[in-house]
Amino acid sequence: MTTAQFILSGWTWNPVTVGLVALALVFYPIVFRDRRRFGWFLAAMVILLLTLLSPLNTLADGYLFSAHMTQHIVLLLVVPGMLMLSLPQQLSLARGPRFLAIPFVGWLAGVGAMWFWHEPSLCNAAVASRPIHALQTISLLVLGSLFWRQILAPRDNERLSPPAAVLYLFSACVTCSILGIIITFSPVTVCSIYTVPPTDALGLLPTIRDRWAISPERDQQIGGLLMWVPMCLIYLAAIFAQIARWFAHARQLVPAKTS
Amino acid sequence: MSPNVSAHPHSVAIAAEAEPERGMLSWVTTVDHKRIGILYMLTSLVFFVVGGIEALFIRLQLAVPNSTFVGPDTYNMLFTMHGTTMIFLVAMPMLFGLANYVLPLQIGARDMAFPRLNAFSFWLVPFGGVLLHFSYFSGGAPSMGWFAYAPLSELPYSSQAGVDYWALSLLVLGIGSVATGINLIVTVLTQRAPNMTLRRLPLFSWMMFVNSFILILALPVLNAGLAMLLIDRQLGAGFFLPSAGGSAIMWQHIFWAFGHPEVYIVALPAFGILSEVIPVFSRKPIFGYEFVAGSTVAIAFLSLLVWAHHMFTLGLGHTVELFFVASSLLIAIPTGVKVLNWSATLYGGRIKLDTPMLFCIAALVQFLLAGLTGVSHAVAALDWQTKNSYYLVAHFHFVFVGLIVFAILGAVHYWFPKTTGRMMSEKLGKWSFWLMTIGFNLTFIIQHFLGLAGMPRRIYTYPDLPGWGWMNMVSTVGAFFMGAASLVFVWNLWISRRKGRIAGDNPWHAWTLEWATSSPPPVENFNFLPPIRSRRPLWDFANPDRPDPVVGTKWKMETSSPEKNHASVVAFIFSETGFFAVLILAYLYYTAKPGSGPSGHDLDLLKTGLFSVCLFASSFTIWRAEVSQHHGRNHAMIAWLALTIVLGGIFIVGQGLEYWGLFESGVRVNSNLFSTAFFTLTGFHGLHVCAGLIALLVLLGLACAGDFKNGHAPGLKAIGLYWHFVDVVWILVFSVVYLLPHLR
Repeated sequence: MTTAQFILSGWTWNPVTVGLVALALVFYPIVFRDRRRFGWFLAAMVILLLTLLSPLNTLADGYLFSAHMTQHIVLLLVVPGMLMLSLPQQLSLARGPRFLAIPFVGWLAGVGAMWFWHEPSLCNAAVASRPIHALQTISLLVLGSLFWRQILAPRDNERLSPPAAVLYLFSACVTCSILGIIITFSPVTVCSIYTVPPTDALGLLPTIRDRWAISPERDQQIGGLLMWVPMCLIYLAAIFAQIARWFAHARQLVPAKTS
Repeated sequence: MSPNVSAHPHSVAIAAEAEPERGMLSWVTTVDHKRIGILYMLTSLVFFVVGGIEALFIRLQLAVPNSTFVGPDTYNMLFTMHGTTMIFLVAMPMLFGLANYVLPLQIGARDMAFPRLNAFSFWLVPFGGVLLHFSYFSGGAPSMGWFAYAPLSELPYSSQAGVDYWALSLLVLGIGSVATGINLIVTVLTQRAPNMTLRRLPLFSWMMFVNSFILILALPVLNAGLAMLLIDRQLGAGFFLPSAGGSAIMWQHIFWAFGHPEVYIVALPAFGILSEVIPVFSRKPIFGYEFVAGSTVAIAFLSLLVWAHHMFTLGLGHTVELFFVASSLLIAIPTGVKVLNWSATLYGGRIKLDTPMLFCIAALVQFLLAGLTGVSHAVAALDWQTKNSYYLVAHFHFVFVGLIVFAILGAVHYWFPKTTGRMMSEKLGKWSFWLMTIGFNLTFIIQHFLGLAGMPRRIYTYPDLPGWGWMNMVSTVGAFFMGAASLVFVWNLWISRRKGRIAGDNPWHAWTLEWATSSPPPVENFNFLPPIRSRRPLWDFANPDRPDPVVGTKWKMETSSPEKNHASVVAFIFSETGFFAVLILAYLYYTAKPGSGPSGHDLDLLKTGLFSVCLFASSFTIWRAEVSQHHGRNHAMIAWLALTIVLGGIFIVGQGLEYWGLFESGVRVNSNLFSTAFFTLTGFHGLHVCAGLIALLVLLGLACAGDFKNGHAPGLKAIGLYWHFVDVVWILVFSVVYLLPHLR
């Protein structure tokens, strides 16, 4: 199978996913009266569908660790972040269980999701077993939302203050970088299922190994590097947004108290 | 001063007891941030002379082809010592000195947050310097380059003690630097004058603040590497020795994970100096304060991420290089933003070309060139051609001398009046500026061409190839111009200190708080502070009819400050995380592939698990001690504290027993890579537990003496936090060392 053929035919059809996304799109306008941020929601759903149905998913499903990593990053960082941004401005998130509002819990959710699912046996299991794979997808979305809630909660007073948010994001980045570094330079295979894909129904393996020149070792390196560098750039973008938020209010003409 | 000014809350009480001390001994015992700042700068000046003389010898040796002036061995020592001295004993102490002197004044503080710690950090510098230079008398200075690449730095290839002195001295200096970083962070967080909110910080202080975070994260990485190198050399282990199964590349990763941020550790304060001097001498506020401040954070963040571009010629593979080309190019954006802001500040200003401004403008121009060659190095393909040539030597000297030394010289001319009360001679200043600028550009511009013509770096001499001879001669002549400039500069310092024009409080009509007090400032720094509503309080004070827009406050943490002991322990924990991260990663790397000899399976999971439970339980008991203290139950607190110490003691005894068992069965530090990594990781953790136990014993003593009865016990909270951290580290170590082998 050539690259072009694969891009055309590599799409998966998953009625459950499509159905859930369609339901969500129907329910958003019903649940929230304020629809000014519906665009974010729509974008999040489109990206979610692309991640779960496009050829990327086929690649992640046993062929390429790096494709899996891309999916992982999008599901943990991109989609939940956009979901948070799609919530109406006045919505308070304080109603849920109180411990979910603790910054460290959010931090641990975001960072822990990365580390937990890359424990070698779990990483393999998530590829081999459908239910575990579904559980992984859902957990990434939920944990990612918990992580971003500290930064992107609709109400300003439910977010961290910018300096704290910068530290929150920075330390999350460093912690994930460390995992990326381990995966990049590890002399052992992290997710061994990708070395020899169990089935090659599409006949894609020769294309990957020969035409794309991605050996299993290089595949793992790319995966590690994706986590090390581009993922950190997502955090960096968020840090920039925080700095902008920090200085945006700098020129308020409020007379300061002089003691 | 008008009656309108606000009195500093602490000044009244302190002014009564503050008496300026006199005599030489008072300089040794001082804890005053201004005196320590001056000591830092003088120490740096001494080592600048030493490193400069080494540089001149290097240039003399290279002046003509096939030279035998100093010979290869001496040359290697000179070039190693020059690099090490200039980075660790000149640039860093100088910038710490400036920060020490200026930062507390700029934020309206009375002193640093921890004056004694400050003195300790300073005294580590001369001792570290002496330790390094003592190697000359112990069979030869280190000669493996300031980067100490393994395996050249290992015992089989560098058998003289020079490398050990080098590593020990850097360890000493590194500990001092981390302490300074913590001190600066806590000072900015807790010692600011009322109304000096974080968003009103002068840019030099802001950049030193951000810089301190890189400092406390990057230096521990080097410290861990140095400890590993010393274990290799002193205990016969092989972390970085390929012949013993170790990895020489690991050293490069560790060194550059520190080394790249290090560039910004010395560059950010220089950016801060430019951001102070350029506006004052353009008579305009800085253009885009927010962008200058914000891009600093971006630079700090990126600097920790892109070290692998120092290793392109190592053969990390195309995949790795691709990612680091892209991320390294990114760093040009925030630095470019800064250059644009400084240029826009100059644009349309009433520029006064006094010596400080001259140095800063030259620094700006030269930094632009350094940045351009820097971007070219981010491209791996070009880097392969130029990395090991004089092109790279020219590049980093443009950063370190062209930007940093010039900015420092600008800063010295700018703040000298504040420090001494006298102006530096403009005439001598201009002489030293022009000699320095001509000399510097003569020395280093031509080295770009030498490099492109193929001259490799790190060589003691070269054959008489076309063009190489005269270009090197030009470079050497330039170096002597710089030497002459330095002599004029030192003479200027000396003579101006004694006979310079009296400066007055604010000779440059600057706007930040350090100019609001007398020159030199009194021991307590300020008798009065002007009201602070914007980033230029002295402008507002002098121009009440057209003040700067008020910089408002929005977040609570802008105005409030954390408890300083608590803040310092949090910062310390941050830095310790960097140290342990390196050791844990190294352990994972070295034990990933099973080798012969002892391995993780030989450890007694159950026994250590039991001792670990004691350690984890001690986290609970110290928390109970804090709670008891909070409720004023002194006896309960003492009991809980004692129990914590007992539990920690049991853990240490348990670890000792485990070590003993391993020794009995013939396992040594140098048995194989597993045992080396195991003893290093658990040993350093054990050291931290012991340090914690000592701190707890001190607390117990204080508690028994009744020190915590008044309900105020910041020390208890701080030590408690540290103790929790030590436990968390043990959770990680225990999982990685003891549990992981059983999961595989």
